[in-house]
Amino acid sequence: MNERADSGNVNGKEPILAVAGVHKRFGGIHAVRGAHFSVAEGSITALIGPNGAGKTTLFNVITGFYPPDAGMISYQGRSIYGKAPHRIAQRGMIRTFQITKALRAMPVIDNMLLAGSRQPGEHLHSLLTQPRASRRREAEVRERALELLASFDLDKKLDDYAGTLSGGQRKLLELARALMAEPRMVLLDEPMAGINPTLGRRLLEHMQKLREEDGVTFLFVEHDMDVVMNQSDEVIVMANGETLIQDKPEVVRADPRVIDAYLGGGGVAEKAEASPPAESEEHA
Amino acid sequence: MPAGMEASSIAAANGATPWQRARRFADENPAGIFLAIMALVGTALAATQGLDDFGQRTINGFVNGSSIALGAIGLTLVYGILRLTNFAHGDMLTAGAYIALLFNLTLELPFILSLLIAVAAMAALGVILELVMWRPMRKRKAGMLQLLLMTIGLAFVLRNVVQFFAGADPKSLDVNVTDSYFFLDLSIGRTQLYVLITAMLVLLAVATLLRVTSLGRQMRALADNFDLAETTGVDTGRVVIWTWVLAAGLAGLAGVLLGASGGSINPNFGFQLLLSLFAAVVLGGIGNAYGALAGGLVIGLAQEWSTLVIDSIWKEAVSFIVLIIVLLVRPQGIFGSSRSL
Amino acid sequence: MSAVADTLLVAISTDFLTQWSFWIVVGIFAGIYGVLALGLQLNVGYTGVLNFGQAGFMAIGAYSAVILVVDVGLSYAAALPLSMLITVGAGLLVGLPALRLRSDYLAIATIAFSEVVRITAKNARELTGGNQGTLDIELENNRFFVDPWTDASTWIGDNLLDPIGLSGQDFINMPLLLVIWLTLGALAIGLTLLVRSPWGRVLRAIREDEDAARALGKNAFSYKMQSLGISAGIAAIAGWFLVFQAESVNQQSFEPLVTFLAYAVLVLGGLASFGGVLAGTIIFWFLLEGLREIDLGLDGNQIASLRFIVAGLVLILLMAFRPQGVFGKKEEMVLGE
Repeated sequence: MNERADSGNVNGKEPILAVAGVHKRFGGIHAVRGAHFSVAEGSITALIGPNGAGKTTLFNVITGFYPPDAGMISYQGRSIYGKAPHRIAQRGMIRTFQITKALRAMPVIDNMLLAGSRQPGEHLHSLLTQPRASRRREAEVRERALELLASFDLDKKLDDYAGTLSGGQRKLLELARALMAEPRMVLLDEPMAGINPTLGRRLLEHMQKLREEDGVTFLFVEHDMDVVMNQSDEVIVMANGETLIQDKPEVVRADPRVIDAYLGGGGVAEKAEASPPAESEEHA
Repeated sequence: MPAGMEASSIAAANGATPWQRARRFADENPAGIFLAIMALVGTALAATQGLDDFGQRTINGFVNGSSIALGAIGLTLVYGILRLTNFAHGDMLTAGAYIALLFNLTLELPFILSLLIAVAAMAALGVILELVMWRPMRKRKAGMLQLLLMTIGLAFVLRNVVQFFAGADPKSLDVNVTDSYFFLDLSIGRTQLYVLITAMLVLLAVATLLRVTSLGRQMRALADNFDLAETTGVDTGRVVIWTWVLAAGLAGLAGVLLGASGGSINPNFGFQLLLSLFAAVVLGGIGNAYGALAGGLVIGLAQEWSTLVIDSIWKEAVSFIVLIIVLLVRPQGIFGSSRSL
Repeated sequence: MSAVADTLLVAISTDFLTQWSFWIVVGIFAGIYGVLALGLQLNVGYTGVLNFGQAGFMAIGAYSAVILVVDVGLSYAAALPLSMLITVGAGLLVGLPALRLRSDYLAIATIAFSEVVRITAKNARELTGGNQGTLDIELENNRFFVDPWTDASTWIGDNLLDPIGLSGQDFINMPLLLVIWLTLGALAIGLTLLVRSPWGRVLRAIREDEDAARALGKNAFSYKMQSLGISAGIAAIAGWFLVFQAESVNQQSFEPLVTFLAYAVLVLGGLASFGGVLAGTIIFWFLLEGLREIDLGLDGNQIASLRFIVAGLVLILLMAFRPQGVFGKKEEMVLGE
């Protein structure tokens, strides 16, 4: 068992996300077997592991897109185990997808407006009974959208269909859209994949700024080790559907089990037998 | 971690609750459970309605069901291999029946010969449509709705070309409608018996073909995972052509057999059967040929058995209701896995 | 050569194009199918829901309105809104299980529902009068249901149409045409405003990618239910118009064929705008009715068949060569899965 994840309290605060004993099976494949970690509020945490380790599956389970088979998932102190994805998103946990889901058939601005929260015009009854409130909120949301788009250098593309953007721009749009939703916690699935270093740096700057100014928590799956080691407060390592270790980047980097997992190809689909994880030491 | 959460989650991890174990048993043995249900229903009906009535309806059920199975196999293969929901399939039955009618009545050829010509003609039509319509659309990466609407358009065309030339009035094939065989207290018309035997033999042949021949294995591989099969060197173009030969040919055969056993046909009869064909396909698990076979027989039986307990005017609704129930309770059908959804 | 040309000219006599009665018939059918297709546009074009049960909802709207007036004795003012409520309820009831299915299963399930409705109407003699039952006969002989409409129609004719010279046998169905097209226009405008709202934006997101919408906190299932419910209510209106037009209600008018023709109208206009539906339906029905008028030396059965062959070809060719329809935009074609 991973001792570090059990306590998870940083500075005496409750972790914003706590995951324990989570299992997910697909027919014969046991993709997640007993995942166990916690994320401190306001932290930037990386989730790494070889291909097939179960990282994206775990993301999908946490955010409600796959129903879990067992375990405990709590967010902001309340259980979100088995809750519907839109409810989890409404509570401020917003995620992005490995294959970007920028809505290509809608203009960039519509993508952003979609993410606006508390818009009475999105519900039939309030749309019809409070048209003015709806218009007012739309203007507010639009203003914020324009600001965000400008900070991601997408404001010129306002009215273009998202499908006309480059892959990297669509990724930024998806992130900007996630931020529009005023999240408390953002789960990013491979945010650096497919975007050039300049844009990537800007993305990271945004993350740092949001963390400092608004206390937003970030949990991201990443393969880019530079980013992982230099940007994250903590690193969680997954292999074979299990969480091996959660600790500071330098500690994780040196841990023999982690090196083993990457060299041995710790993907569920690849490994013939799973070796039981060793007991970890107490950390001061 | 917060107290109280652990116990229930551990229990859940072990699947210990009786309800979950029952669910898993049902999930892993769907065919067995279904067979048990059929046997139960059949026994109940036989007991309450009388063995003779029950037996007679069961015979009729097999006669119709075997033809429905022939139609359903084609429908499910085309879906499984091409991901095409073919709303024109019912009208391919109609076309087959009317081609046989043309040769049988107008040109006065013997029934068997007309049947063979109809099957060959429909197989040829299937191939032509593949080359002219479906292959180009696949190259263009046409979407599901596009293809669906094309099949609807094709259905219109097939049905109404038949009606244009043959008229809307019911017509009959030149088959024996009077002779019957009797055993115990049950009867079966001579034509119906021949239809049943033919259908069963063909079903057996198709099942064997799919299991034993290399073509059959390739078809099943394509149905399972088209792109993967392509990379392993399967000549997909050739397999697809043979799929249409089989699907369209079987549809034509089913149409002729149903026309022969049912007494008369009209240009709409194939389309009216389409939902029963879909019911059979969905019941058996879409893409699964053995499932379509079983599903067709079940639908045939269900329709006939229903007449024991409710007015026969509701017979046509039975397959729709079966379809709705399957979609509600187990959309992947008896032999499908939940992954195929 | 000239003999061939002469024959052709004789065959394609275009007199009918100048006859009011032709255009009024085109207009009425175009109108009824236009209403149906407006609902489908909301479902398919804006939410990505393949609703193939429109004929069934139309039937529920028609039969419930007739039963409420003829058997229960309500006036239009009470019966029609109630009939719409019932139909919307049916839409939600169907949606509850059906909207969880994937697209092609949803199509099949909704056709099955539509057929169950039709077969029930056909066989439930106590309720609907069956094929040749009381209800049909009452409508034809006693015309309880259509009487108030007939009065209104006559009023419109006398006070609005006669003064501008549109009187006489030719224009007897003109009031119906006017009412249908005014309704169509109002519905099209209303729906257009609806889809341009934030609510409509969520629908469009769901159309393209439900999971993306869910990840932003939208309850995709609820929105799909609302879309289906509204479409069912719109189909009820089409049902009422059909009863006014036919002055009878018969289950044969609610076969899946009707839904398929509505889809043809929909894709002809294009899966993108409600205005496109209006144009698409006129073009389609002009084509279908025009074929009836051309004297090709065919008998009634053959003309009927030819009309549907053309309808089928329109569908095939459209989908093959211009799937976005006349007014659709290629960028918004997201239903290529």
